[in-house]
Amino acid sequence: MRRLYSSLVDGRGFDLCLIGIPLAFLIVLSGVPLIYNVVMSFQAVDMFSLGSFIRPWVGFENYRQLIAQPEFWPIMGHTATFLAASIAGQFLLGFALALFFWTNFPGASWLRGLFLVSWVMPGLVVGAVWNWLLSGDFGVFNFVLRELHVISGNVFWRSDPTFSLWSVIIANIWLGASFNMILLSVGLSSIPGDLYEAAELDGAGALTRFWTITLPMMRSTIGALISLGLIFTLQQFDLFAAITAGGPSNSSNVAQYWAWDLSFKQYDFAKGAAISVIMIVVVMLASVYYVRSTRHEVRG
Amino acid sequence: MTTQIEFSGVNKHYGAYHALKDINLSIDKGSFVALVGPSGCGKSTLLRSLAGLEKITGGDISIAGEVVTMLPPRKRDVAMVFQSYALYPHMTVEENLTYSLRVHGVSKAERKKAAAEVAATTGLSELLHRYPRELSGGQRQRVAMSRAIIRNPKAFLFDEPLSNLDAALRVHMRKEIRALHDRLGATSVYVTHDQIEAMTMADHVVVLRAGIIEQQGRPLDLYDKPANKFVAGFIGSPAMNFLPATVADGGAAMIDLGNRPIRLTIPVAAPIGANVLIGIRPEHITLTAPGEGRFDAPVAFTESTGSTTFVSTATTPELMVVETGRRMVTNGDLVGLAFADAAIHVFDGTTEKRL
Repeated sequence: MRRLYSSLVDGRGFDLCLIGIPLAFLIVLSGVPLIYNVVMSFQAVDMFSLGSFIRPWVGFENYRQLIAQPEFWPIMGHTATFLAASIAGQFLLGFALALFFWTNFPGASWLRGLFLVSWVMPGLVVGAVWNWLLSGDFGVFNFVLRELHVISGNVFWRSDPTFSLWSVIIANIWLGASFNMILLSVGLSSIPGDLYEAAELDGAGALTRFWTITLPMMRSTIGALISLGLIFTLQQFDLFAAITAGGPSNSSNVAQYWAWDLSFKQYDFAKGAAISVIMIVVVMLASVYYVRSTRHEVRG
Repeated sequence: MTTQIEFSGVNKHYGAYHALKDINLSIDKGSFVALVGPSGCGKSTLLRSLAGLEKITGGDISIAGEVVTMLPPRKRDVAMVFQSYALYPHMTVEENLTYSLRVHGVSKAERKKAAAEVAATTGLSELLHRYPRELSGGQRQRVAMSRAIIRNPKAFLFDEPLSNLDAALRVHMRKEIRALHDRLGATSVYVTHDQIEAMTMADHVVVLRAGIIEQQGRPLDLYDKPANKFVAGFIGSPAMNFLPATVADGGAAMIDLGNRPIRLTIPVAAPIGANVLIGIRPEHITLTAPGEGRFDAPVAFTESTGSTTFVSTATTPELMVVETGRRMVTNGDLVGLAFADAAIHVFDGTTEKRL
């Protein structure tokens, strides 16, 4: 009894308690819904069996039907485009900004902080703002492009099937670039300055230093950021709800929005769950990569 | 002897702060020059200006006859060993060594050959495929030096390279760096705050304080004939004893050690009544029986390292005496202090310059 008590106050028992609390929290709020969702994707679910966990087992029938739907492959394609374009845009813009602020001009840190405003804004608000900016008739975005002679007539970003997905991508890049910038800024500032001095004395010009010192030293940061970007981008729902609602005619529909649409608008919970499971697999792979790249940090 | 590096009228300002004040210094080809001084004296700034890592605000620097003042570091062809070593952590030892060759477009086979050659001379052959984090402090130090050697530069610059090593290794590396310098016939500029390093390694020592060269010359000249009180106190360990005194008639000075004035003949002429500082190195004083030395003083404190005994006296100012061997004196004993005339240095009381 005494040993149990002392272990709980200052020992292994105490350690286990500390780990146990967040673990229980995670299991209840993330683990159980996750397993529930996976199980549901293998069951026949309708409005009447929604309340019970014991439902007819149908194996991969939900998946088969889902893939057979004509919009499945287009939506998967949109998701891939959305992922690739958003991550690339966010990363490149974020890196450019991070390098820009790295030059440390007067007021750089203040301005860098201000950039984070875009990231802390709720997706629905960002969506509303971009609705105005992208508006076909009187939007600022069209105005700028027209004045730059990039376009001649107005582009109806949100209602033209060619551009509807891109309107969400543009808003998402704007939303995520500053987060990328902050993480990359941290990565940049953790590279010791004397490495650059040594490289400079070794005869490396600015571009060579960037390729041979900056990029390799940032490898773990970049790896972490890309996988985080993948996870965040797959979670991006608000912008779709606010800007295009997946339309017109699924031209801007992506997996995460479709899952919600199937479950809560068409009440086809089983198929909604099946899409979610497909996404879970992708996110899991990204998470593994994220954990690996943060573990292999190279620091002198 | 041809001049390899020349500073002429070099000034450096950081805003209102004047870090280097009109530095004139010429360094012969093949010589080992130590820049030494307390922290903040401008020695590192001078070295970094030579490397091009700091832009000077006035004057000119030339390397091997070419004015490099406006050239970026990579065009100056000098190699530097940093205090932190600044090894590239994401590269193996071999890649670290050959980075400069790679930047200059040398082929992979030649790079490998060059790395193997240098590694053989610096004892790194077994470590070529390790990463810097897998090396000990001394090994990292060797990699940093090898990285400099491989380029065969016009000058080697060392920025306090030994300060991260433990005392024993420091003594060892001191010899190793000097031997390397001699073998390569290189020109080296070595920054240190440790006057022992400067004295033991360099052919030419430059003492800096507050951005000014206080004195430069051969190490033993600086020790024997310090130009002013600062150099006298900085060179030599433990530091020189300074006694305030007033010049009296008959080529003597009156020292006040707190109780009664002591008359001491000084080897220089000075106007009567002038305030001077008498400097005597601790190692030049020998202890005698009371009454047999120049004057007597009570012992305040003794420390013995086995081979040497440090004795300080209960006077104001305190006097430090270094005796070789063991000396059985205890606190409160009265001892006589003896020293030769040649051991007496006299400095002006106000300008602190040597008289």
